[in-house]
Amino acid sequence: MTTPVLQINHLQKKFGHFQALKDITFEVQPGEVFGFIGPNGAGKSTTIRVLLGIIRASGGDATIFGKNVWSDSVRIHQRLAYVPGDVYLWPNLTGGEIIDLLLKLNGATHTAKTDDLIKKFGLDPTKKARTYSKGNRQKVALIAAFSQDADFYIFDEPTSGLDPLNERLFQEAVLDLKAHGKAVLLSSHILSEVERMCDRIGIIREGQIIETGSLAEMRHLTRTMITVTLGDDFDVTTLAGIHGVTAGHHPHDWQFSVEDAQLSAVMNTLAQHQVIALQSTPPTLEDLFMHYYTGKE
Amino acid sequence: MSRYGRTGQLIRLNLRRDRFRILMWIILLAALMTSVAWKFEGIYGTQSEIAAIKGTLASPGIVAMFGAFSFTGKVTTAEIFANEMLLFMALIQVVMNLTLSIHATRYEEDLGITELVRAHAVGTLAPLAAAATELLLVNGFLGILYSLGLTAANMPGATIEGNWLIGLGLASTGLLFGLLGLLTAQLADHSASATGLAYSLFGLSYLVRMITDVQHPRLTWWSPLGWIEKLAPYNHPNWSPIWLSLLLALVLAQVAVIAHDHRDLGAGAITTRPGRRNASVFLRGPVSLIWRRQRNVILGWLIGIIIFGVAYGTVFNTIGDILKTNPTMQQVFGKAMVHEANHQVLLSFTSLLAIVMAAVAVIPGMQLILKLHSDETRGWLEALYARPLSRTRLLFSYVGTAFITSTLAYIGGLGGIVVMGDASLKHVQDGISASEFWQGVWAQLPEVWVFLALSVLLVGCWPRLKAFSWFYLALGFISVYMGSLLKLPTWVKRLAPSGWMPRVPQHDVNWTTFSWMIALALVFVLIGWLGYRRRDLHMS
Repeated sequence: MTTPVLQINHLQKKFGHFQALKDITFEVQPGEVFGFIGPNGAGKSTTIRVLLGIIRASGGDATIFGKNVWSDSVRIHQRLAYVPGDVYLWPNLTGGEIIDLLLKLNGATHTAKTDDLIKKFGLDPTKKARTYSKGNRQKVALIAAFSQDADFYIFDEPTSGLDPLNERLFQEAVLDLKAHGKAVLLSSHILSEVERMCDRIGIIREGQIIETGSLAEMRHLTRTMITVTLGDDFDVTTLAGIHGVTAGHHPHDWQFSVEDAQLSAVMNTLAQHQVIALQSTPPTLEDLFMHYYTGKE
Repeated sequence: MSRYGRTGQLIRLNLRRDRFRILMWIILLAALMTSVAWKFEGIYGTQSEIAAIKGTLASPGIVAMFGAFSFTGKVTTAEIFANEMLLFMALIQVVMNLTLSIHATRYEEDLGITELVRAHAVGTLAPLAAAATELLLVNGFLGILYSLGLTAANMPGATIEGNWLIGLGLASTGLLFGLLGLLTAQLADHSASATGLAYSLFGLSYLVRMITDVQHPRLTWWSPLGWIEKLAPYNHPNWSPIWLSLLLALVLAQVAVIAHDHRDLGAGAITTRPGRRNASVFLRGPVSLIWRRQRNVILGWLIGIIIFGVAYGTVFNTIGDILKTNPTMQQVFGKAMVHEANHQVLLSFTSLLAIVMAAVAVIPGMQLILKLHSDETRGWLEALYARPLSRTRLLFSYVGTAFITSTLAYIGGLGGIVVMGDASLKHVQDGISASEFWQGVWAQLPEVWVFLALSVLLVGCWPRLKAFSWFYLALGFISVYMGSLLKLPTWVKRLAPSGWMPRVPQHDVNWTTFSWMIALALVFVLIGWLGYRRRDLHMS
């Protein structure tokens, strides 16, 4: 296994008496898109700010490219690109000027790729940043990040202000990064986006990582939704390991969820009762998310 | 819903939002006025003391700074008080009003709060009306406090009418400039340029007042800032300046409403043009970024302070001609002595102005250093932090620009005085020589640097206390501007670095003081730098 791009071990951060990060541990491998999800105030942005060396961890450690994120930040930033969630731009500079400046600060230059991105995202680079909407400010930061040739990309809720068209452009660009073997840390609220792009996911709640793994791995931890039409009067409520049973519109129609451990037993029993139609839906990321946050399915 | 719907609610909200700000100003200003009045009999109580200060106040140098007042008959303590305090208090009151008015309107708009408020069932003009009412309340309340304070101090020669004239006169001048701030907030397209525009107009009225006061006091009526001098509260009480101020304030309010109607929320009456598609080759790092963002402000300050200096220089020929006030002197002492006396007058005038210039020159630099923190909290630096850019480099980009700006501003201001002053003289040998000019430069620069270094220390280690820099600068400014006239004790004058160096070029530079002031500045910067490298950066 290659050395991870990002490695976080039991990271903690205290603001006065408030423990914003209690225990954050995960890693991101080269060529991997890692989804970082959690509700508002769970500590996503705080974690990212520690990673950028903007704030200092109070415990644990974090390294990027094997270097300490606090003491070696300048060398790390040489090969890193970052798009914040709320993009604030210098109001009296134009978008074009800001993109160029940000590139120059990394020793990069405005290339044909930059022009291409400006065109694709539909940004007017001659406007003063003061007049940009939230989405347009995000485009400026995204264009600067994507035209940079970095090894690790951090996106903090990058699409919250983008329209669906630009959101898709963003997803394509991220998948392109992945194809080129870059590592990406994507913090997001848009679960469908994370589901589509991320290889692995970390879920954070109240400053703690409560689950990491691929979506497939996580699905085992929860229940599968079954909709079935049977040929006889079998009462499914007698089955072990099922939950939330509701009767359908017709007699013999049932809808319920099954614990993964009981799935094969349930299937075997159903098969003996003349299954006419059966639909099984794996839990979506949204179901998983709700499962972790509310304790319900 | 009327155009003023829910103004009342917004007024309450404004007062609540600004409560500490307002309270601080009111306490400081009322305490300053009342405590000086309280002590004044002790300073200028006897006729001989009054006679001595009367001569000083009539000298053109003091007139340039405190305004022209005429004395007739027996001069009372209260009249001296009015002469020394009126214009000075008016200046502070104007600064308070410009800060409050732009903060309450354009700044809120820049933050997007006005948009949020206007989306509710609130009249289109309600935010503007609420800000105007807030100014009216603050100035009115402060004016009443002044009057009551003066009445309580009961200086010899003070009258009830005069006390109220001072209180209400300052209140109406304050309100007038506050409404000017509301107007510029409608014209400019963001708060920084609104502030710049308002201060330019304020500076212009100060210059008109100063030049007319020295040459033709009758013409001072042309400057709104000069009206305050025309109150003559304790000799010939005159209420017309108050009516004039209120009338002009009303006109400004009306113009502000018209300007407000002709613009979109978030935009100025002057629209922004599209800019460059690409960055210039020059824009490539933190220093050039600061320059690109702040060049108008920096250049504005440099040009403004040079004009300020030149304006003071134009009065050299009036001040530096003793024969004007004392025509018999040449026959008694001979030509050489007259030239020497003229030279001494100009030296002492320049020494006093050098300290004022230094205090003014600190302002743009201090703004830049504190901007490092406000940019941090407003998220504008987040894009920079994620680049391979060390905090050290970022800090020193701001600090270096700030030190250079203030240094140039000071040299420019003093240079303006000396070059213009010498040019206006009939006999150049009366004027300030090049070596005296450079002495003046070296004497005040350490003071400028210590003030700036203190800001670096605060931003680096305790950014929440950064407002203290302004407070300390104000203390330094007041103690040198008013120190000798109020006969402040030496320890008060020594509280701030402006009081550490003897007055140069009247006296020689004290190189020991010079050295340890430089060392102190270095230590402050060093600690600030270490703190900035270690602390968490704050983000919105």
